[in-house]
Amino acid sequence: MQTQHVSGSDVAQSGFGPIATADPRQKVTVLAMRILVIEDDREAAEYLVKGLRESGYTVDHAANGKDGMFLALSEPYDVMIVDRMLPGPDGLTIVDSVRKSNITTPVLFLSALGEVEDRIAGLKAGGDDYLAKPYSFSELLARVEALLRRAGTQPENTFLKVGDLEMDLLARKVVRQGKRVYLHPREFRLLEYLMRHAGQVVTRTMLLENVWEYHFDPQTNVIDVHISRLRQKIDKPFDKPILETVRGAGYKLEV
Amino acid sequence: MGWLKRLVRSITFRLALLYTAIFAVSVSGLFYFVFWTTSGFAQRQLEAAIQAEIAGFQDSYDRSGTAGLVMAINRRLDPSRRDGAIYLLVDQVGTPIAGNLGSWPRRVAVDDLWVNFNIRDMEGAPEEIAEARALQFLTRDGFRLMVGRDIRESQQFRRQLLQSLNVGLAVTVFLGLLGGFVFGRGVMRRIEGITSTCRSIMSGDLTRRVPVGNANDELGRLAQNINSMLDQIERLMRGMQQVSDNVAHDLRTPLTRLRSRLEAALRKLEDPQQIDVIESAIADADQLLATFSALLRIARAEAGLQRNFIPLNLAAIGEDVAEMYGPLAEEKGLSFTAQFEPGLWAKGERNLIAQALANLLDNAIKYSPEGGAVTVVSVLLKGKPAFLVSDTGPGIPDEFKSKVLERLFRMEQSRTSPGSGLGLSLVQAVARSHNLEIKLEDNHPGLRVTLTFSEALLAPVKIETPTSLPDAQAA
Repeated sequence: MQTQHVSGSDVAQSGFGPIATADPRQKVTVLAMRILVIEDDREAAEYLVKGLRESGYTVDHAANGKDGMFLALSEPYDVMIVDRMLPGPDGLTIVDSVRKSNITTPVLFLSALGEVEDRIAGLKAGGDDYLAKPYSFSELLARVEALLRRAGTQPENTFLKVGDLEMDLLARKVVRQGKRVYLHPREFRLLEYLMRHAGQVVTRTMLLENVWEYHFDPQTNVIDVHISRLRQKIDKPFDKPILETVRGAGYKLEV
Repeated sequence: MGWLKRLVRSITFRLALLYTAIFAVSVSGLFYFVFWTTSGFAQRQLEAAIQAEIAGFQDSYDRSGTAGLVMAINRRLDPSRRDGAIYLLVDQVGTPIAGNLGSWPRRVAVDDLWVNFNIRDMEGAPEEIAEARALQFLTRDGFRLMVGRDIRESQQFRRQLLQSLNVGLAVTVFLGLLGGFVFGRGVMRRIEGITSTCRSIMSGDLTRRVPVGNANDELGRLAQNINSMLDQIERLMRGMQQVSDNVAHDLRTPLTRLRSRLEAALRKLEDPQQIDVIESAIADADQLLATFSALLRIARAEAGLQRNFIPLNLAAIGEDVAEMYGPLAEEKGLSFTAQFEPGLWAKGERNLIAQALANLLDNAIKYSPEGGAVTVVSVLLKGKPAFLVSDTGPGIPDEFKSKVLERLFRMEQSRTSPGSGLGLSLVQAVARSHNLEIKLEDNHPGLRVTLTFSEALLAPVKIETPTSLPDAQAA
């Protein structure tokens, strides 16, 4: 076993102790969740592991498919980040085995293969998200957090509540501070996504992929325009704005 | 009869025709040689028989005089011998003494020693005028002897031979022409095969190869050479793609690291001024990353994996993209019109088509001045589905219309506006892989871009929610 335990497991033996993040500006505490990184590129793995650790996660790293498979099948993790191309069994094979062993841990695929067909193959094998290399760390972090969140909530909730903002998915109704807010269908979906990921950073790419369901590069930040329109409706008429812009990363709906 | 027209024009047909002509000339030469030798042989045989008989008569005359000659003639006039033999012996004044000819023929055509004449009054001769060939012979006592043969049969044989040779020649020429047609069509089909393969290769399918057929003939060798040339082109293209992918990737990796470091630094900063500096540095890094991503996207779009293409509802994509960009246009104070004809379907990759349309709309919005108008529609143009995007911006001067589609080309006046200069190149790459036709026209004022698909698909029928089916794959 050549597995490197990059993050000292002494940080949180149980894996669930609350610890402070390394970011002094964001005075947020997160649960020290366990993440498995299977990535053969040394340098990429180093940055990934370091960044995740700084964000407060406990990280195990496997540098090849064999070790990755062993860890994925034997240790409990909250999220697995799997490179698609690995020495030994490749990412698809690992995730396939993991799913066949009834392990439902969310999986984020990393790949230099960004084609639609690669993405589909990854998701078919049991991956939950797919990120093409190179990615910005904030993008990866946002997606990891989204996956962690998804694991803990029932996605089919038909009533969402974030602070004083309420959304009834069946009646297609949004209410803030008791006042009805009228949204266009797309704005509704946008807000729904933000509410399901309240308190997390949501990147523009995540919005494009999940709200518009397209995988392409909008030249201008068209998403920003839609966000600002949404803000006009859910923030402007009220005293306290809740839809925050996270510079260099994306947006966040304040809890 | 289009193929016939093409056939007549084609080189192979002309070659086949020339070949047939040469073949016909040589065959007719051969046939007439056969004819002359065959008919000449028959005549020589006839002449030899006559000469042999005259030699016999000479013998009889020498031995027994005129009486012997008459006896010999009468012996030969045995009615059971029906070989068309003609004999006539006349005395000094022309009175017939013996033989089967009524009188000495009046008109004889003299050919060397031989005479040709018509027989009218030969005993037992058929009623029609017969032709004969004979030798005349004068005895010592002034009697004249003529020995000949009725040559009707041999002449009929000649005529029949000539006729069959003519028929044979006609059949040969006909078969030659027919063979030429068939051969020409066969060759033409192989050449057509090569042409159509080349055409589909030009449209981006570099994996296609020319059918080789018989590897040993010229066309087979030509096909093999074209194929090995294509192998080499494909190898070079792969290499070039690999290199550009590697360059983009190699540059992106340190850029990504740079960005990560800046992000890490940002998290430790407190001074808002420093935060500002780092944030704009991150924005620059993002711009660079976006450019490299766009270059890679172009490379991938150009590679055009047509096997992944599925039927797309163009109106659904148009509405999605218009819905995405409409607010941007309105924000800029532009009037925005989007109209998509329902029921237009075409094959393609959903994200690439959306990307192309998005880039066109993005440009249209970017370059239209405040108060301008941006329009996006989908229509059927001459049976082909098309997207039209028009703006009221400065437009593109004619001399730049082809250049703007090249990578990284930006007109001087647009250098100041943000963007990678890859927007239209990406549209071009998508167009190339999807066989779309891009047309840039003046919108008076502004630019109108038409993106025409090469063929329309019939809208799938058994679909409950037409917009969601083709989208399901990408979701």
